[in-house]
Amino acid sequence: MPVPVKTQNLPPIKKLRNIPKEEMYVPGHRTCAGCGPALQYRLVAKAAGPNSILIGPTGCMYVANASYLCTPYRVPWIHTQITNGGAVASGIEAAYQVRIRKGSWEGELPNVIVMAGDGGTSDIGLQAMSALMYRGHDVLFVCYDNESYANTGIQTSPTTPYGANTTFTPPGKAVPEGKKLFPKDVPQLVIGGHPAVKYVATASVAYPLDLMNKVRKALNYKGPTFLHIHAPCPKGWKFDESKTIEVARLAIQTGMWSLYEWENGEYKYQHRPSKYKPVRTYLETQRRFAHLQEEHIAKMQAFVDARIKAPGVPVSVPLPGPREA
Amino acid sequence: MAKELTLSGCAAAAQAVKMARVDVICSYPIRPYTAAMMELAKMVNEGELDAEFIHGEGEHAQLSVVYGASAAGARVFTGSAGVGVTYAFENYSPISGGRLPVQMMIADRALDPPGDFGSEHTDAMSARDQGWIMGWAETPQEAFDNHLINYRIGEDARVMLPQFVCQDGYFVSHIPGKVKIPDQAQVDEFLPPYRPGRHVLDPKQPCSHGPQIRPDQGAIMDLQRAQAFLDLPPVIEEVIDAYNRIMGRSYSPWLEEFMTDDAEIVFFLMGAHTATARHAVRHLRERGVKAGLVKLRFVRPWPSEQVARSLAKFKAVGVIETSTSYGGSMRGGNLLAEVRASIYDAPKRPLTTSFMAGLGGDVIPLQEFYWMAGKLLAAVKAGRVEKAVYWAGLEHEDAPAAGARSDGAPVAVAVH
Repeated sequence: MPVPVKTQNLPPIKKLRNIPKEEMYVPGHRTCAGCGPALQYRLVAKAAGPNSILIGPTGCMYVANASYLCTPYRVPWIHTQITNGGAVASGIEAAYQVRIRKGSWEGELPNVIVMAGDGGTSDIGLQAMSALMYRGHDVLFVCYDNESYANTGIQTSPTTPYGANTTFTPPGKAVPEGKKLFPKDVPQLVIGGHPAVKYVATASVAYPLDLMNKVRKALNYKGPTFLHIHAPCPKGWKFDESKTIEVARLAIQTGMWSLYEWENGEYKYQHRPSKYKPVRTYLETQRRFAHLQEEHIAKMQAFVDARIKAPGVPVSVPLPGPREA
Repeated sequence: MAKELTLSGCAAAAQAVKMARVDVICSYPIRPYTAAMMELAKMVNEGELDAEFIHGEGEHAQLSVVYGASAAGARVFTGSAGVGVTYAFENYSPISGGRLPVQMMIADRALDPPGDFGSEHTDAMSARDQGWIMGWAETPQEAFDNHLINYRIGEDARVMLPQFVCQDGYFVSHIPGKVKIPDQAQVDEFLPPYRPGRHVLDPKQPCSHGPQIRPDQGAIMDLQRAQAFLDLPPVIEEVIDAYNRIMGRSYSPWLEEFMTDDAEIVFFLMGAHTATARHAVRHLRERGVKAGLVKLRFVRPWPSEQVARSLAKFKAVGVIETSTSYGGSMRGGNLLAEVRASIYDAPKRPLTTSFMAGLGGDVIPLQEFYWMAGKLLAAVKAGRVEKAVYWAGLEHEDAPAAGARSDGAPVAVAVH
């Protein structure tokens, strides 16, 4: 059995002005203006600090970041296939466990952090992510969720919302709403089936302190942890690149995204609105939803109403699946 | 103390991996390689080997785990067979391109369909162009030795390449043979601990592994990997010399010849069937046929010059193929294509043909070797070969159409 060698205790950041100045994810990359995933990358890396190793499955944060001879990572970083971020991270963590034990490397066990997109987490990368959680490696798995396969040209993923227009779900005469399926609930996949996991949280680029403190809390745990980060994509969701934070905040205000922590079986909410705005106000900010008709918006509202009651409560989809329609 | 044990190929591989003091192992079960991992699991759980033993969620994960562990500076081991080898395929090029000295055991198994446990080299051979060192063992002893030899070759700072260490499923993996086990001190002398260079994931010296390149940056990187293989032969020779000296063995690095001094016809092959071929050669000699055999130890790097030099001595060469390539230039013969390419520029070239044999994991009986020898003798007499490939056991006058083999047993023909 691995001997725990992690003793670190990253302190919470109380105020914005106490955020470390040192950048671990530096400028010079090629992400789009207003990129939500790039912003969360900067915050995660900053919160984790220099004793970290980042694992980058194929996705936007590989393709638009990791250009040969000018990558933006100030800590060790390794590309993995989109399939296997969880497995490669398992190997890295195991290597450090054994190297520290045998004395071929000296120091504190590094923070091993997977930075996977929604496809690399919940779709083609699901098997490797689940196995990492099952085996109990000391790894933080971050899913930066821009709700699509974005770098390949905005195709639907399992976290793309119902009704979104993507290049694989274009609205048409026969399928007016575009995407007919409701998304996977990724944190619940992790919580529901992996007893080794003690900490799972959601975060948003609109709440940077909350995000960074969740990263630190996750890294202070010995064992696997999971962070699901809402990261709006101006190009894919079709909104002005100056509105990333506004769109992200509106997602929380309408219940399209919830901020919560699941720690040793207990849920805690953060920034929960006392009164939710109608989903319509969120949909209106993004042209990926411009084609939706009243009945579609009503279905979306019903889905959100059910989901915001409490995290972890199964939500039945108010729609027939595409094969039954 | 050095000792002699009776071990299967799987158990021999596990012994070698243990003595290599491997750091990270990743397992997934598939016959016939599984027993190697069962042995290692026992060694780790009994406290005889200090290593992380990770249960991969599939072969793709196995190769992914050891990719990460090797990049983080660990000596690693994994293994597979058959469709497991092909399921992991995505990872082979990133590992060799990352110049990570990962070691993977393959105990060959036929690919589907139909489901077949038998040994056939097609699984491993389908990955021969992925930038890995690759070679076969004939016996559990050779398997044991090859695992240690390959770690030192792959981890040499001038090389830094992954290795497929192959043995035939069942014929080697499951049939026990005598294996001389050296002292741990001898192994430690031969194989020092793996010390990764600057090229490692380490927060004390950050670097990025595997970034994206532009198309115009691709050729130079491919050239570097190609150059690594061009630079490999002297390192392999040096390492095998050292192994022979420290362990008291007598391996030749590239080709092993048997009864070739005055031979006119030879079998050219690798792996387990060499054992039967030796018997066939002895019996043919008793009947006055000047037969011999040449055994190949490495498929990658392919020893072109040594093959050309060796085969120039003979009149006809029968290449025994235990894998196939549908629609290939040699009508299926993977090794024949390599052999003919090797001798193309040679001043003296033997006649060459190939025999599909042992596919699906069938044994190659002595009768089939005699039949092949007959075809080679006929080619010598005629001064030319009839065709590039024969399907041994299926082309006897009384065999293929009649649905019978040389021993009269019926051939199972499934028409889908």
